[in-house]
Amino acid sequence: MKPVEEIRKTRYQTYALVWVVLIILTGITLSAAGRELGGWTVLIALVIAGTKSGLVLNYFMHLRSERLTVFKIIIPLVLAVFLVFILLTFSDLAFRGGVK
Amino acid sequence: MALMILRRFGKMDDAKELVAGEVGDATGARLGMWLFILSELLLFGGLFILYSAYRYKNPVDFHHASRELDVILGTLNTIILLTSSLSMVSSISALQRGDRKLSMVLLMTTIALGILFLINKGLEWGTKIEHGIYPNAPALLARAKGEILFYGLYYVMTGLHGLHVLVGVCVLLVMLLFVSKGKIRSTHFTPLENSGLYWHLVDVIWIFLYPLFYLIS
Repeated sequence: MKPVEEIRKTRYQTYALVWVVLIILTGITLSAAGRELGGWTVLIALVIAGTKSGLVLNYFMHLRSERLTVFKIIIPLVLAVFLVFILLTFSDLAFRGGVK
Repeated sequence: MALMILRRFGKMDDAKELVAGEVGDATGARLGMWLFILSELLLFGGLFILYSAYRYKNPVDFHHASRELDVILGTLNTIILLTSSLSMVSSISALQRGDRKLSMVLLMTTIALGILFLINKGLEWGTKIEHGIYPNAPALLARAKGEILFYGLYYVMTGLHGLHVLVGVCVLLVMLLFVSKGKIRSTHFTPLENSGLYWHLVDVIWIFLYPLFYLIS
């Protein structure tokens, strides 16, 4: 029962620390949005959101302490599928204008 | 048979879980929950792509419409959901340590925060509807095409997310009942753990909804 043991070892303080980091990151997103950063705004917001979800997935959802390989590959796999969807959609959008 | 297969793959720990009976196949249950969560992520992912595509086509309209959303309420709701995730994970941790009372208090905190989130969302929608901004409203249809699209996506995406919060609250209420009756306890907590996974999923989705609707303008 290794995963359970490892989860047990996660102290409340660790969770609290993760929460503090999440709140700080929210603050950074908020203050970054108020500035004129042009095209960077979206990128910064998405990078911070990605970091925040990474923290939630690894610490709150315990992905970090899962030891089966399948848990390690499912997230990258889904992200890869999602990326294909994004690329297909935007390649369509980018080249559609000329046809119309 | 299952025992033999697990042994063959060297998963002795899981085999022990099966022998113990009470815990059952906890890893399998978690994996099943994860598959469901990933399908949910792709469901919202599709909507995120739709948002990006329309935003790419109508950047100015999206900018104007986004400015009208209440950033303070949005930020408050972000903090509420992040905090509820903390109380959720701590509730599971408390139960695993055998502290049932603390676990129940933390679970009730999570439920209360979830309800608070929904109340805020309701207030936000209420104000928008009062101003005549709701799907197919004459005042909204008179606006630019991009703004109509923005508010359409806003209602669909925050609405679908709100529905998930509502379902999460209901699931957690059932879990609270189970914990209080001792059906979920320190040796058998998989249902609570999986409900926690669902709750965190709702949090992860909001982490992306928040900057895309309230901040990027």
